[in-house]
Amino acid sequence: MKFVRLSLTLILVTALVVTLAACAPRATPTPVPLPTLVMVMNMDDVVTLDPHHAYETTNLMIHNSTYDTLVEFRAGDLTKVAPRLADRWEVSADGLTYTFYLHPGVKFTSGNPVTAEDVRFSWMRLKNIKDNPAFYADIVADVQVVNDTTVKVILTEPSPAFLAICAAPAMCIVDSKVVKEHGGTDAADADQTDKAKDWLDQNSAGSGPFILTKWTPKAEIILEANPNYWRGKPKLGKVIIKHVADPTTALQMLQRGDADMVESLDVDLVEQAKADPNLQVIIGQTLNQNYLAMTSNPELSKPLSDKRVRQAIALSVDYDGLIKALLRGYGSRAPSIIPLGILGVDPAMTQGRNLEKAKALLKEAGYEKGFEVELCYGSNPVRETIAAKLKSDLAEVGITVNLKPMEQSVYLSEMRAQKLAFCFGGWTPDYLDPTMWTDYFSYHDRGIAKRMWYNNPEAERYAKIVGTELDPAKREQAIKDLQKVLMDDMPFTMLYQNQQIVAMNKAVKGFAYHPVHFVSFFDLSK
Amino acid sequence: MGLSTHIIRRLLLVIPMLIGVTLLTFLVSRVVPADPLVVIVSEKALDHPDIVEAAIRKWGLDKPLPQQYLYYVWNLAHGDLGVSFKTKRPVAQDLAQYLPATVELSVASLLFATAVGLPLGILAAVKAGSWIDHLARFISLLGASMPPFWSGLMALFLFYFKARILPGPGRIDARAATPHGITGLYLLDTFLLGDTNAFADALRHLILPSVILGWFTLAIICRITRSSLLEVLRMDYIRTARAKGLHERVVLLRHALRNAFIPTLTTMGLAFAGLMTGAIMTETIFAWPGIGRYAVEAAVNLDYPAVLGTTLLIALIYIFVNLIVDILYGVIDPRIREA
Repeated sequence: MKFVRLSLTLILVTALVVTLAACAPRATPTPVPLPTLVMVMNMDDVVTLDPHHAYETTNLMIHNSTYDTLVEFRAGDLTKVAPRLADRWEVSADGLTYTFYLHPGVKFTSGNPVTAEDVRFSWMRLKNIKDNPAFYADIVADVQVVNDTTVKVILTEPSPAFLAICAAPAMCIVDSKVVKEHGGTDAADADQTDKAKDWLDQNSAGSGPFILTKWTPKAEIILEANPNYWRGKPKLGKVIIKHVADPTTALQMLQRGDADMVESLDVDLVEQAKADPNLQVIIGQTLNQNYLAMTSNPELSKPLSDKRVRQAIALSVDYDGLIKALLRGYGSRAPSIIPLGILGVDPAMTQGRNLEKAKALLKEAGYEKGFEVELCYGSNPVRETIAAKLKSDLAEVGITVNLKPMEQSVYLSEMRAQKLAFCFGGWTPDYLDPTMWTDYFSYHDRGIAKRMWYNNPEAERYAKIVGTELDPAKREQAIKDLQKVLMDDMPFTMLYQNQQIVAMNKAVKGFAYHPVHFVSFFDLSK
Repeated sequence: MGLSTHIIRRLLLVIPMLIGVTLLTFLVSRVVPADPLVVIVSEKALDHPDIVEAAIRKWGLDKPLPQQYLYYVWNLAHGDLGVSFKTKRPVAQDLAQYLPATVELSVASLLFATAVGLPLGILAAVKAGSWIDHLARFISLLGASMPPFWSGLMALFLFYFKARILPGPGRIDARAATPHGITGLYLLDTFLLGDTNAFADALRHLILPSVILGWFTLAIICRITRSSLLEVLRMDYIRTARAKGLHERVVLLRHALRNAFIPTLTTMGLAFAGLMTGAIMTETIFAWPGIGRYAVEAAVNLDYPAVLGTTLLIALIYIFVNLIVDILYGVIDPRIREA
């Protein structure tokens, strides 16, 4: 009996310890200058915070707030390049030389002045490190320092996309002196000799409104205000970004007041957030395209290599049902490769579902009784649901779709090896210029067009005009012509363009959604 | 054989085991039908030959497979676990970053599971068929059948969101500064720094995840203890002890439990190693930056330096925990040591 008492006592003591610990006084947060903004999001993607090495999504937001670029696209007007570090710029008649005039008197957070040499160093380091974002600097043949505040950039070919590329966070200007002090270099062999990454992972060397003070992988990123920011003092003292992978938990933290903002909510949680009187929900239109890609290679799929079959598939998808039912309406649809919001898009070109026409095309192609095809995709919960819907949509015209979900890395390997016939993929922009899409979807020797064996010289001719023509009107026409060619060949049909659901405390002001770098913390107040 | 010889022999066995683990993991991770370049080089950069060439050179992917393996083992022998394809940081640095959070959570979970599961199992055996036995069975059933992603969400919803008596996800308050790392174990660090508020906060944050994670282990410990104790209690020597007129407490604690504890100890050893590596769902729900998520991400991303590093670490943990369990066997039952 004594033992029974002893055992019961042990269980009770454990319960008591747990309860006492639960009742222990809550930690008093370390006092910091107010206001502090706590944002929760999934930060699994962050690999590095060195802007010349990083090529993920979360870092774009961090770099936009810790560094300055020469120019920028302000949220709300994505068609106009606005000055940032460069007050103005001139373009030579042949479109090959850009001269930027830097805003005088700007200083990095170290106190060093921002000079033309820093621009040269930054872009050469980016190029020579040869890591993922190095392609941004491909177009740059040379950077010449004219004087402290004037820099001349020579391009390899005329490029109407160049200013948009300059606005990308990877093209930000770093403090060359500080980066060199920590082992950085812009030398030709920088891919082997540059040693500044570890330091730049934990610190920023920029002139931006915030300073990176800490990054703990899969835990948090901390930014502190730069009180001497040249465009004015930030209205937030500190930004804490916490890694919370589970969306339900993230919303609970927001509702409990432990967080001020959730970067991205699941569509299932929107109503719950909207019903909370303390919260505001903002819907941001992304430029992310989700598409079906169909091979032109008869060895991979004879039916798909026939453009009539590809057209039939595009006509069989119930796009409205997909967006309204599966995405609960939080999605849009662009007619072709160019997303809504980008030069050259024409919503009037949008093609919906037409089963009769689809069946007629299949009959014409000799597939009246349908055929079997395997749909491959990198598996995630959203794609699984949509793939099931696509399977049932295509079954209505007699096409049997066998779903083949794969680990993303395996899917990418097979897709890049040009082995897949029918894919469900996505494309997210790095910068705001139509070439982001026309390059990827049109050329036989690169991007998804290559992976799907798509080869049409006419499409490439238009894509080339989009990539080099400096006259906006001619360029816009080429984008429209290209879309017509692509919609006839139909190697890709665009399924939907995501919308991002941002939830935040009503006290947070100044939020404007940006489709590349998400948010500018400089504009926020609380 | 003496205890020290036993330990030395076991430790020497670790070396061939680790070589086997590295070779097997290396081969398996390279047989997978995917290209490591996919993880290293982005879709856009893949069309740029100079970026691809730089990556191949930097990561040694142009070398033949045996050479890559030998290079890996050579570096390993010098304490270098290589650099992760995905995080682009040294694997050792990554593991050092995530291990303390996992150790803290696993130890707390095991303590909870043992402190409740062991006495509950003993009570269930001693009072077999009574309400205590039924209660123990119910608690075990709950622990064994509730998936952590569900119980974790429910626990957060009830105790954090609704009742507001426990803190939310993470290891410490979202607005509080993280303790400056000495060991990376927040409880120990805050204790060593004498920061009682942060210590209390870290402790409060540990409750829900460790209870959720430990509950399954609790169920196993409870059931194994109950069944093995029941079996021992039916043995002749127990009847003899009782016939000698020994006090029931002495029969139970000195004679029965000592023998019945061996299967429980084995279970605890395995469970602890499992807790160290299998907490992926608990880590996700509670935003706990542990090694479970790192291991899973390494695997799905074909990040074989990270896969090898985590596999080695897990193997070492299993070996170490089993060694401790073996030593404890010897302490509980000297016949095992002599065998």
